[in-house]
Amino acid sequence: MKLLDKLAVLDRRIIYLCVGIAVIVPMLIPLNLPVDITRPVRNVYNKIESLPEGSVVLVSTDYDPGSEAELYPATEAVIEHCFRRNLKIYMMGLWPAGSALGEHALDTIAHVHSKHYGTDFVNAGYRPGGAVMLLSLGRNFNDVIRVDYAGRPIDSLELGRRVKSAKDIALVMTLSAGDPGVIHWVQYFHARFGTPICAATTAIMAPREYPYMNSGQLVGLLGGLKGAAEYETLVHRKGRGLTGMDSQSIVHVLLVLFIILGNVILVYERRKKSAGRAG
Amino acid sequence: MLVTTIGIWIGALLTLAIYSFLYRDNPVYKVAENIFVGVSAGYWAVVLWFDFAWPNLFAPLVQGRIYYLIPILIGIMMFAPLFPKISWLVRIPLTFTMGVAMAVAITQYIQGDIIPQLQGTFLPLRGVTFFTAFSNLLIILGVIFTLIYFYFSKEHKGALGAGAKIGIWFMMVSFGASFGYTIMARVSLLIGRVYYLLHDWLRVVR
Repeated sequence: MKLLDKLAVLDRRIIYLCVGIAVIVPMLIPLNLPVDITRPVRNVYNKIESLPEGSVVLVSTDYDPGSEAELYPATEAVIEHCFRRNLKIYMMGLWPAGSALGEHALDTIAHVHSKHYGTDFVNAGYRPGGAVMLLSLGRNFNDVIRVDYAGRPIDSLELGRRVKSAKDIALVMTLSAGDPGVIHWVQYFHARFGTPICAATTAIMAPREYPYMNSGQLVGLLGGLKGAAEYETLVHRKGRGLTGMDSQSIVHVLLVLFIILGNVILVYERRKKSAGRAG
Repeated sequence: MLVTTIGIWIGALLTLAIYSFLYRDNPVYKVAENIFVGVSAGYWAVVLWFDFAWPNLFAPLVQGRIYYLIPILIGIMMFAPLFPKISWLVRIPLTFTMGVAMAVAITQYIQGDIIPQLQGTFLPLRGVTFFTAFSNLLIILGVIFTLIYFYFSKEHKGALGAGAKIGIWFMMVSFGASFGYTIMARVSLLIGRVYYLLHDWLRVVR
């Protein structure tokens, strides 16, 4: 029991060190643990697969660098899938810094698939205004979006001229880290205009979004890095999601062990105290 | 290329500076923290001007749309409490903002949340597979018992008390799921930073 006494006063920095090692080692020596595909992720994949070629997918980058680790892998995987299916991407964002991240993802993937700016994809950039803006956007895109991310008139771009209202959008894919985000797309854009919505959210947000899937307001959901890794598996693209999943799995096992150990120590200390009082 | 390399080095060193807090509080951490606060404040000032104020207010005004003076005037009224004699003027922009927000939010909340979520609980228990029926039953019971817990007009005794206790169990499961997802999210953020250090900075991970 001396071991339990020592563990009870263990320096928390040793736990940090263990977690750090559990993250770093699987990245250096990949284990390639299997990634199961869950129904919400498959729903997103199936929805994009079902769209006719040339359909417009509105990709909304509603996050910032604070959530990049979880949502950027999903951004790349979804863009990759859309381009492979010859879908058009109309990108915008409800968060200021999200547009730059979206632009980076588009730049990275578009040239691989020989896609051209203006005809195959556009980036309208950050659009402030949250809920009120989304209601105006669905009625008439030109009321809200007059120039693109780089300041070019949106009407000078073929795809910009084509998208006039929510009717021209086959699917909204929101990559959401909070407010404004997926809730606004569901409650305002989907409820008013009926456009199908898919979402990739941070893991913290995911449990809150499941009721929207249950009610049919959300078609599918990628929850956190795990959701991104599942999507990368579906589109056969090893990105940051799959690279991080070994570390994620190992750390989860480690944390479960820590929780069990913490509870064992708690019970042991309580018994020791009660035995001390009885003695 | 050189600019990118410098950027990666700055990002890596600041990441290490922030993580140095895990060992103990130190001046390097403080410097990184203050840089973050300063950069964030500057960034938001630029965003507020170039994405909000200029395109939506001042640009149309400069183009000759004089009626844009009305929102400017209403906005200036927000500062009225600084002058006690005219402090009552703040009620005008506040009531305007509240009126618009309520009009937009209430209608859409009913249409986009309450009604679809109610419909989402009308689930079939017959004519579906056993597991679907079981899952649907759990959702229906979860909604009913959780609502019972939040019914405070009668003391939670007898059948109402038992229902409320079951409601607590449903909520506990929900909190557990949220906690699990929260751990996953925090670990993901750490993975993201470590990936940046090993892939972008040290280039030891492909």
